[in-house]
Amino acid sequence: MEIDIEKAVDEILERVEADREEVEKDLRRFLDYGVPLEQAKEAVINKYGGILKEKKLKDIKVNERGICTVAKVITIDEREVEVRNTKRKIFRGLLGDETAVLPFTAWKDFGLQRGDVIRIKNASSSEWEGQPRLSLSEWTEVEKLDYDIDLIKRTPKKYNIIDLKPGLSGVEVRGKILSIEEREVSIGGETKKVFSGILADETAKIRFTAWKDFGLKEGDVIKIKGGYIRRWRGAPQLIFDENSEVEKLDEEIVIEEKPIPLYKVVEAGGGIDLCIEGVVLDIRKDSGIIFRCPKCNRRIKNGVCEEDGNVDGVADLRIRLLLDDGTGAVDVILNRELSEKLLKKSLEDYLSIAKEAMDYGIVYDEIFDRLMAKALRIKGDSIQSDLIVTIFARDAELLQIDEQKEMEEILMQLEG
Amino acid sequence: MREPAWRIFAAEYNDANHVLEAKEEKAPKYVITPLGAKVNRLFIVGVLTDVEEIGAEGIRRRARISDPTGMHVVYAEAFKPEVASILADMEIPSYIAVVGKVRIYEPEEGVLYLSARAELVKEVDAKIRNYWILEASRSMLMRINAIRDAMNMKNPTSRQLKELGYPPLVAEGVAEAIKVYKDIDVEHYEFLMREALSFITAKKEVKKDFGEAEEKMLKIIEELQGENGAIWEEVINQAEKEGISKDIAEEIISALMDKGKIYEPQLGKLKIVT
Repeated sequence: MEIDIEKAVDEILERVEADREEVEKDLRRFLDYGVPLEQAKEAVINKYGGILKEKKLKDIKVNERGICTVAKVITIDEREVEVRNTKRKIFRGLLGDETAVLPFTAWKDFGLQRGDVIRIKNASSSEWEGQPRLSLSEWTEVEKLDYDIDLIKRTPKKYNIIDLKPGLSGVEVRGKILSIEEREVSIGGETKKVFSGILADETAKIRFTAWKDFGLKEGDVIKIKGGYIRRWRGAPQLIFDENSEVEKLDEEIVIEEKPIPLYKVVEAGGGIDLCIEGVVLDIRKDSGIIFRCPKCNRRIKNGVCEEDGNVDGVADLRIRLLLDDGTGAVDVILNRELSEKLLKKSLEDYLSIAKEAMDYGIVYDEIFDRLMAKALRIKGDSIQSDLIVTIFARDAELLQIDEQKEMEEILMQLEG
Repeated sequence: MREPAWRIFAAEYNDANHVLEAKEEKAPKYVITPLGAKVNRLFIVGVLTDVEEIGAEGIRRRARISDPTGMHVVYAEAFKPEVASILADMEIPSYIAVVGKVRIYEPEEGVLYLSARAELVKEVDAKIRNYWILEASRSMLMRINAIRDAMNMKNPTSRQLKELGYPPLVAEGVAEAIKVYKDIDVEHYEFLMREALSFITAKKEVKKDFGEAEEKMLKIIEELQGENGAIWEEVINQAEKEGISKDIAEEIISALMDKGKIYEPQLGKLKIVT
């Protein structure tokens, strides 16, 4: 019992500025009244709550409450999530100080922008990927400060592009610039030049944005130290800035196309220019003949467009299927051209089949029959989606399988 | 996250006797197999050998699906009438693909009956069955390697296995399997895998007619099959007694299988298609 109290007092003092003896006296009083230890601790903390201790980011642990800290917003992205059937906007990103960089989630709009230095009062933390993630809620106070703070200079950790997932920071990546373009963005009324493009290594490709002019051009092979990964348009994006180091390398990177296991795609939350293989394990119910608004191209229902009202719908064919390779699963969307290629029938064929049967559902049945359980190879980019990583296909083909050869390969590895 | 569908041979799945259950409600349950598959969803392709109605209303159905290593048991529940009706309409035997979730029945502590609760079913062809055997073998091979790596570690953890490049689910499943299964018989599963792979070459498109000898062979099998099927060796022995040489007898068996007159309810057993 004594040991418990000692420990509890230590924990309380970690969170509030107060006199040790006072704290112990208060705690014992609650306990004498039969208040359970955890609640007694909360009560004492509340009593001294006015003077929360400011913490450095590196001292924040998982599952803490009442956190107070000063940090700089390194990245911030808005996303929409569904909580108990209502859509709400949340903000995700990275916070840094001179001791650490941590991911955070803001459950309301605090009007934060990249580069803001803020004082946070009464935040909490949870676990994400083995590290604490700060959570700013209704009950959190956020105050913008008018001074700058230093960010930690860490020894960056090396990654292949395929392993980059949103929320990582301090990464070291090597890759070849496949494309790059300059554009201007305005941040808090200030115009800034940024450079965006695509970086590739032997494992994958990723979109990047450089917040500083590093003099990069297409074809350069570079090493970036101290980059961050955020999620953008349904795929990871590499960010580097004045806190990062960029070095040009005198080497060549050969980019070949080989399929990425789907668990990797799921872990990264998507990707660009992906090549994947898997078996079709479901055809989603919204596959088949659909009608689009001739003005805005949105899908319409019963001849009514949400935007343009009553319109003459234009028929289109599309498939949304579930692709699974045994390690992970993603949705794949096939447009009309690719659907026709895989089904070996045209939209017109299906329109007349459906008219004859007086049922558009027959098209779904045929798609299911033709594609379910078949192995496909898909190339494409992931798009924004909340429930499951969704890939918009640019190419699709039935996988050609040389059974004999693959069997021999497996047997060889078995002997190996 | 959508749980991936494991391609897993019946023998390995049915050998499992460990279930991983999270404390939270609604958290997925996982079957951990001896080779460390961490299964919540399965993808099974095999030969449909039997469909029976169960339950008072008869809308639920139980099917048996044979793969080269054993039998998967698949349930079509009342809330999936479309699955049950496809099963009822399918010919036996035929190739079938099933996507399903693990179904765990534990009548008493330590006794575990594993099957699958079907989400989707579809009739398929031999090509898809063969590709499934390849995928199931590849998945098993990766886990065999992971089990061997884990056996060489002092205190194997999923983290160490991930660092070796294994997918998270494999790393977690293998770390758990090493903890709960004693003396994992890796060679046994390697043997099963070789057997399974041999099904791919065995499939030849020659359909010879052996005339009378075929009738003789069918009779032998019919006499020996009983409930669970006639044992392959016994059939061959009996055939030799009746004047059919071993080589010819085996050719006749494969011809009868190609014609769909007999099937293997499990490895090394033969049964007449009724």
